[in-house]
Amino acid sequence: MTDQIREQISALLDGELAAGETGLLVRRMERDTELRRVFASYVIAGESLRSPGGVVASRDFAARVSAALAEGGVAMPVPAPERVAGMPQKWRRPLAGAAVAAGAALAAVLLVQPDAGRERFAGGRAAPPVVPAAAMMPVGGASPTLAQNQRLAGYLVAHGQYATPIGRRVAWSNALATDPGIARMPPEVAGQR
Amino acid sequence: MPNFPPVDGSEEAHEPRDGDERPMSGVEQSDLELVRRVQRGERAAFDLLVLRYQHKVVKLVARLLRDPAEAEDVAQEAFVKAYRAIGSFRGDSAFYTWLYRIAVNTARNAMASRQRRPLDYESDLSESEQSTVESRMRHSDTPEAVALSDEIHRTVNRAVGDLPEDLRTAVILREVEGLSYEEIAQAMDCPVGTVRSRIFRAREAIDRSLKPLLE
Repeated sequence: MTDQIREQISALLDGELAAGETGLLVRRMERDTELRRVFASYVIAGESLRSPGGVVASRDFAARVSAALAEGGVAMPVPAPERVAGMPQKWRRPLAGAAVAAGAALAAVLLVQPDAGRERFAGGRAAPPVVPAAAMMPVGGASPTLAQNQRLAGYLVAHGQYATPIGRRVAWSNALATDPGIARMPPEVAGQR
Repeated sequence: MPNFPPVDGSEEAHEPRDGDERPMSGVEQSDLELVRRVQRGERAAFDLLVLRYQHKVVKLVARLLRDPAEAEDVAQEAFVKAYRAIGSFRGDSAFYTWLYRIAVNTARNAMASRQRRPLDYESDLSESEQSTVESRMRHSDTPEAVALSDEIHRTVNRAVGDLPEDLRTAVILREVEGLSYEEIAQAMDCPVGTVRSRIFRAREAIDRSLKPLLE
């Protein structure tokens, strides 16, 4: 083992090794136990200099971790999804929250508005409620289908803290009323539950 | 390249945000480089991260658990969890910060599990369980381990004290003060390459003193 490689190990430990040199060195260290021993020894020297009781892991600790990973067949996880292009990290969470809140509010409007809107329209005192085109789920006209009600109910379960109590109640009522499984359930079975 | 299973969704996998962008230290950059290699399937790079942080993590866990006998097992579990979750590490925080968080959560789980567990009495242990307990005792804060740690500390300090002044200054500025090579070069008024060489030679001298102890 040349001094040059050991000096590279020292620089790697300090984060001062050029990125281009790291790959080859890591591969060398994978094959050479003496190089890994040197790396561990440099780590111990640093820990010990920083604090008297700094060296606490037993000699074979790293080997046991490595064995646990190998024996346990621990595979590595999927790399995280790429960042949303052009969107800084710090904006993503607030935007996601706003989107959820807006979605919940929209769901509540869709559930509550149709009747109220018809009443006002029938009286001729107000124009029908303006609902954005994108929000026009196939709700208008006919009653919501079972699938739609279930989807809305599921949505409100997941985001219930954003929905109004009325919205939640209506969604649940609609879902239960149109669920054929519930409709078909004999009363004696329902009573056993 | 290995087929990565999804992250288990545990709390540990979430990377803490440091908020605004901040400059990374050399060690953080080096860690990130190693993490990227692990993410591409180079297990050996993870072994180096374990070697680098094993003492810190075991020490942290031992403090949290207040049970040195269990510390290495829990620390090992933390490293395994970190390995499983490393695909979710994006580098928004230092790897060490992320690893610390996993270690803390793993230690918390171990403490909660311990509270749910009935007390063990040695007389109730089977032979294999007894052997496990003894094995654990060998690894941790036994008097022998403490004595070895103290001996290592004394040996390192003696070796550093015996170093020529320029090597000693360089290694102290690096290891104790945490200065970068560039900062040490400015402080010692010498080229960065000289700093690198001095720190290496200091470490070699310490290693020569330590080797008999660690074999």
